[in-house]
Amino acid sequence: MTRRNDYPMSELYSAYGAGSLDPAFALLVETQAMLRPDLCELVAASEAVSGALLETAEPAAMRAGALDSTMALIDALSPAAPRAGAIEDVSALPEPIRRAAGASSRWKASVPGIRRMSLEIDSPMHVELYRIEPGAAVPRHSHAGIELTLVIAGGFSDALGSYGPGDLVVNGPDDTHRPVGDEGDICFALALRDGGLKFTGPLGMIQRLLGQ
Amino acid sequence: MSTTIVRTADLEQRERHADCMERIADEESREAFAELFEFFAPRVKGYMLRLGASESEAEELAQDVLVTVWRKAGMYDRKQASVSTWIFRVARNRRIDVQRRTNKPALEPDEPMLQPPAAEQPDAAVSRGQMEEQVRAQLATLPQEQLVLLQAAFYDGLSHSEIAEAFDLPLGTVKSRIRLAFARMRGGLDAPE
Repeated sequence: MTRRNDYPMSELYSAYGAGSLDPAFALLVETQAMLRPDLCELVAASEAVSGALLETAEPAAMRAGALDSTMALIDALSPAAPRAGAIEDVSALPEPIRRAAGASSRWKASVPGIRRMSLEIDSPMHVELYRIEPGAAVPRHSHAGIELTLVIAGGFSDALGSYGPGDLVVNGPDDTHRPVGDEGDICFALALRDGGLKFTGPLGMIQRLLGQ
Repeated sequence: MSTTIVRTADLEQRERHADCMERIADEESREAFAELFEFFAPRVKGYMLRLGASESEAEELAQDVLVTVWRKAGMYDRKQASVSTWIFRVARNRRIDVQRRTNKPALEPDEPMLQPPAAEQPDAAVSRGQMEEQVRAQLATLPQEQLVLLQAAFYDGLSHSEIAEAFDLPLGTVKSRIRLAFARMRGGLDAPE
């Protein structure tokens, strides 16, 4: 099964730039780009192309008085209420993760040293944030389908290697991996699972890219 | 096959747009806003229509995007991206939000990715500007067969398989043309194909 960073994901960037990528994968792409300067350039280039294409778009006339209506909307704006209940741990993580977590998300205890947070993403994928303390082991688990794990902060190691921020680890259904948090900073990781379902459209493309 | 004339905003226009953004941020200039509205609202509306919104949805979304431009103009940094890219991001994300119809509160103000990904080198600002120029220069001379596929991928957001089906082309042809076109956009080829 493929492991770190050695698979073609280029088709994701045009879909990301155009906004048609599944929200779980968009979160993955955004967060990884913040951790990897080389991918950051790809994302920026994709968005530059999309932006330039907006300039070439066929303009569709706005209704009469549209500017005035819009100014009226602006005049009606009130300042945003301060957000309460920010989760301190998550507030230090990249912005796409903070957004996805939301004020109402809570850490759930797992085994000692491991906490998990389900992220409500409008996607058939199951998306979780992991908080792994140094030396803590994520319980040995196998799973149907593909699992993608992006290390956001700190690191973990398993039988096949050690992974740090920006590394994306892909596991198939036959991998019974047991990640252990590395010494040093607490490890935060984003995990996507497709639960063995077969998808069509962009998610199907991703599954085929990953050999499923 | 007919030739489409691809007109992007030239450097002067792009500089004007960036000036307008700064005037909105610094002085709440309604005049500057009106200038951006005139250029971008119809294009954002056209984008939403192309994505399948109804006429009134597209109108509403375009106004909504421009309201966001007003609110978040302070986050625009002309050294990081062109105004078009910035506004496209807002339009793109508004489309996603509308499709999701979520109402959940967020930890941060609700506009995602108004800053491009962080990891910047010191001279990144210069190269971003060069990249924007490069992209437009290449778009102007891109062969039609590559341009339509680039639009399908980067603007409409179709997968390679969907594009192959829509244009009745072999998947391999679609992949290689898009790869070629994207490499040109990023300055990866010395001479046009």
